[in-house]
Order: sequence, then C-alpha cells, then structure tokens
Amino acid sequence: MTLPETGTPKKLERSDVQRAFWLWTFFSHANYNYERLQGTAFAQAMTPIIRKLYKDPDEIKAALKRHLVFFNTEPNVGGVIHGAVIAMEEQRANGADIDDDAINSVKSGLMGPMAGIGDSITQGTITPILLSIGIGLAAAGNPLGSVLYFVLEVGIMLSLAYFMWMQGYDRGREGVTTLLRSGLLDRVLTGASVLGNMVMGALTFQFVNIYLTLSWHIDVGGGQSKLFDVQQDLLNSIMPGLLPLGFTLLTWWLLARRRVSPIWLLVVYIVIAMVAAFPIFGNHGSPCDSILNPFFQPAAGCPPPPPA
Amino acid sequence: MLNTQRMTASPLAIRVAFLVMTALFGVLLFAGPALGADGSSPKAGLVQAVLVGLGYYLSNSPWLAGNGGFFGLYRPLVAGFFVGIIFGDVQKGAEIGAAINLLYIGFISAGGSIPADPSVAGWVGTALAMAGGLDAASAITLGTAVGLLGTIIFFSRMSVDAAFAHRADAAADKGDIGGVARANWVLPQIFLFIISFFPATLAVYLGAGVVSDGITWLGTNAPWVLRGFQIAGGLLPAIGIALNMRFIFRGSGIPFYFIGYVFAMLIGGKFFAGVTAPSIGTIVVTTAIVGAALAWIFVVLSGNRSNDSREA
Repeated sequence: MTLPETGTPKKLERSDVQRAFWLWTFFSHANYNYERLQGTAFAQAMTPIIRKLYKDPDEIKAALKRHLVFFNTEPNVGGVIHGAVIAMEEQRANGADIDDDAINSVKSGLMGPMAGIGDSITQGTITPILLSIGIGLAAAGNPLGSVLYFVLEVGIMLSLAYFMWMQGYDRGREGVTTLLRSGLLDRVLTGASVLGNMVMGALTFQFVNIYLTLSWHIDVGGGQSKLFDVQQDLLNSIMPGLLPLGFTLLTWWLLARRRVSPIWLLVVYIVIAMVAAFPIFGNHGSPCDSILNPFFQPAAGCPPPPPA
Repeated sequence: MLNTQRMTASPLAIRVAFLVMTALFGVLLFAGPALGADGSSPKAGLVQAVLVGLGYYLSNSPWLAGNGGFFGLYRPLVAGFFVGIIFGDVQKGAEIGAAINLLYIGFISAGGSIPADPSVAGWVGTALAMAGGLDAASAITLGTAVGLLGTIIFFSRMSVDAAFAHRADAAADKGDIGGVARANWVLPQIFLFIISFFPATLAVYLGAGVVSDGITWLGTNAPWVLRGFQIAGGLLPAIGIALNMRFIFRGSGIPFYFIGYVFAMLIGGKFFAGVTAPSIGTIVVTTAIVGAALAWIFVVLSGNRSNDSREA
C-alpha cells in the first residue's frame, strides 16, 4: 500500500465497510429515479467511508459529488463494485495516484456486466426456483410455503450480497478485474442458465394449462355415434402437454423476437380466455375437469355436458 | 415539500406525476359515495385496508426490510400470506397469493423498468379476491388487472424522485455528508408513502365491496366470465415464464428447457397411467436438483474443453 508522505495511514475499520454495506442494503432503491437510478443511494452508502477518510471540506465535497453520478447495477452481486470502490477510496486518501476517472471507470465499467450477471443469477435463477417451491407448497394449501420462500430467499440474497461486497473490498480493483477475466463468472452464468432453463421447463409443465374442448360426434354406423375429442384422441396421442409447451414457446417468441409488449399479451390472453369460456365454444363439459390440474379445479360446479 | 427551485429540476415529470396521482385520488374519492349509494356494505374494514396499504408501501421501500423488501414482501406469495393474516385466513391468502405469483414467477426488474407491478397485484389483488370470495385460479386475472394499474405508481415515483437527486447535489456542494444521505431517503420515502399507501388503502377499502358485488353479479348473470378467469389462469403463467426465458432461453441453455419440461412430465405422471402425481413443490424441487447436477456436469465438461483448446 502506498503510504502518505506525512502522518499515519488512514485505515478503514472492518465496521466502516460493514456500515456502508448495511446502508446500501437498506437504501439502495430508496430514491430510485430515471435520472440517476441508484446514484444517490451509492453516495449514501459511501457516507461512512467519506466521513472516515476525508477531513478537508473540499475533499469531502469532491468525494460526495464523485459518487452522486448515474449508477445502476444488481444490488446484491453488484456490491462487489462498491467494495472495490471503497478500497480505491482508501488508497486514494492515503495518497495513492487514483483520480476521479479511475474510480468512475470502475463504477461505470463494472455496473453493466455485474447487472447482467447479477440479474441472471438472483432474479433470473434463484428467485424463480425458490418461488416455485414456495408456490408449490402454498398452492397445495400450506402457508408455510410463503415463510420458507421468504427465509431462504432473504438468507441467500443477504449472504451473497455480503460475500460479494467483502470480496470487492478485500481484492480491490485489480482483484475484481482478474476475477472478471478469469472466466469464473461465465461458468457460474452457464451453470445458472442450465439450472434456470430446467426449472422453467418444469414450471411450464406445472402451471401453463391449455386444453382444447373441440369435439364432435362421428357416425360409426348402425345408429351409433362416437365422440371424437381433439385433445384426447389426437393431441394426447402425439404427446401430452404439447399445447402448453408450444404456447409458452410462442409467447417467448412474441416477447423476445417480435418485441411485443407483455401488457398487450396480458390483454390478448385474457380476451382469448373469455372467448374460450363463452358458451358457444365451451359447453362440452370437459373444461371443468380437464383444462386445469387439481390446483385449478374450479370451486363452483360445472354445467352438465350436452346430451350425446 | 417541493420548493420552486426543485420544481424546476424536472418540471414535466413532476407535473405528469401529480396529474396522474390527482386523477387517481379523484376517481377513488368519487367512487366512494357512488358505491355507498347502492347499499353495498364494505367487505374490508378500515384497519384491514390500512394494514394492506402499509404492507404495499413497505414492499416498495427496502429501508425497513432490506433484502426482505424487493425479494420478499414484493412477491405476491409473501404478500398473500400477510394479507391472509390480516383477513383472518392465512391458508386462503397464501393460496391466492401463490396463484397470483404464477404470473410474476419470471418477473425481472432490469434497468429501471418493470413490465407490471407484482407487489400491488399481491397485496391489493389478494385482499380484493378474498373479499370477493374468488378461488385461486380466478384471482390471477383480478391480480393482473390490479398489477397493471400499479405500474403508474412505479413510473410516477421514478420520475419525481429525480428531483431529490438535485437536493443531494445541493447538499454535496455544501460538503454536507449527512444531507446527502438524508436526500436519498427522507423525502423520497415520504413521497413514496403518499403515492403507494393511500391508493392501495383506498382501493382495498372502497374496492372490496365493488369486486365482491361484481363477482356475485357475474356468478348469476354471466358465469362464463368466471370460467374465463379460470382459463386465463392457465394461460397467463406462460407470460411470466416467457418473460424470464427472455433472459435465459438462449445459447447452450435452450436444450435444458425441453429436458426440464419432459422430466417434469415424467415424474408428474403424465406418461404412465396409474402413477400418482407428486405435489407441485416436489416436481419443481426434483427438477431443480437434477438441473443442478446437469449444470455441474455441463460446466465441468465445457470448461475442460475450452481449456484444452487454449492449450492446443
């Protein structure tokens, strides 16, 4: 470490770094806005550090302004940036040659990649997996599913955030850059993508339910007729669950490739559902017992099937 | 509390936000007497409505809950649990919250935008569904509608909060460390409380009777609408899942989506007659364990290959 020419080195206590971590954890989105996003929250998280490291009013002003600029990242995994910046501020206060540009470039250079990696891991993988476990339990009538989700999710996020924050501080700028170049995060991301896709597949099976009620009577001769059900007799013989899979892939294609707004899709799907429920299409009796898995069984009784 | 100097900071945003909020309040205030006139008794007490409003505010604001805000209270699964406690039926609340959460299972807030507001769907949607006696599948559609309205609150907040960033600038100019910290949370949180607590509380207090009466009316006059709600309950989760797939359904991950689907079908008893389907949670957890194992294998194998090619 570069020592200042005069006086003792300004050293941060572990507790200062932790204090900054808690400020970030609790206030990262307190003033979320279109102009700076998490900019002011970054500055608030740095206040204990600035207070400890700088005594000269001009240095304090410069440090505050330095951290009030636009900033946005994933708040848990992205804490590695804050950790590294705290380490840089400490070196700078001790006379190391670190200018505003160096600090800004670490912040603006890392916030994008860390947001991408972080969102994929936290919101993209961990959260849906834990949610589906909790939903599975709660939907089956066990409210402990909500509690389990809450405890696991918050516990994992908090540990991950603290770990990343301290890693950033301990390794500093060089360490974080090395970590990013090592390909470790790519591998974590690849693994998370495999796991996330598996879980999305299971969720599609579990929660997307489409059932065609199209059917008609076929004359089989001798005054006898047989009911031909498109779902039972055609689609299920190819592969059960073909429709939900195709429907989800279509939705993905519309959202990701055609850039259709999800709000439009919501409206359109609700209209489709209403049309499907309208009596001229839906009076075969089967919607009530077959569209939906046990969880979706309607509470009210269904109209009787029409006479054959 | 906005002085003129800060009003000029982003006047358009503030004007838009205040217009929207005034309109929202106006609608709710005028709706109140109109609802009282047809003699419908409120299905939610004031205390219950206030508690739901508080919960909604807290879910948007991490300052009390830390990670438990956005990652916890913000999710309908958790919100439903608390609304269930507030309305005296935890099991029902958690069931409805879980159903509403299906739509938002792939919810990702990235780059300061949200496709919908899961939290208001969870807090207000569950409360209204419970007051209206809706079953879980039908509650999804109701929650969706409420969730769309919630984005207005998010956008107002994102626009107006820019003004407080300029207050932080002013504090920084004076070298006021505490002032910068306070600028980040005191006024923004008061503003957030106003735009989230009051609409949610009023929506539950005044809306519960309307929703309840509406459902009763539909049940006798147009039961097919309620059937439509249930069918929508099977379609809408596709949007939630696809929103998540937008981020992960790419490259080498694609085949694993299909593996996961077919694996869940296998253990879900869709292929073999007489196999009892395990509970929803079991299917997902089992798939996740197999997925973790496959992920490990996949990363190790592909990692070795790239190392080899680098050495060669």
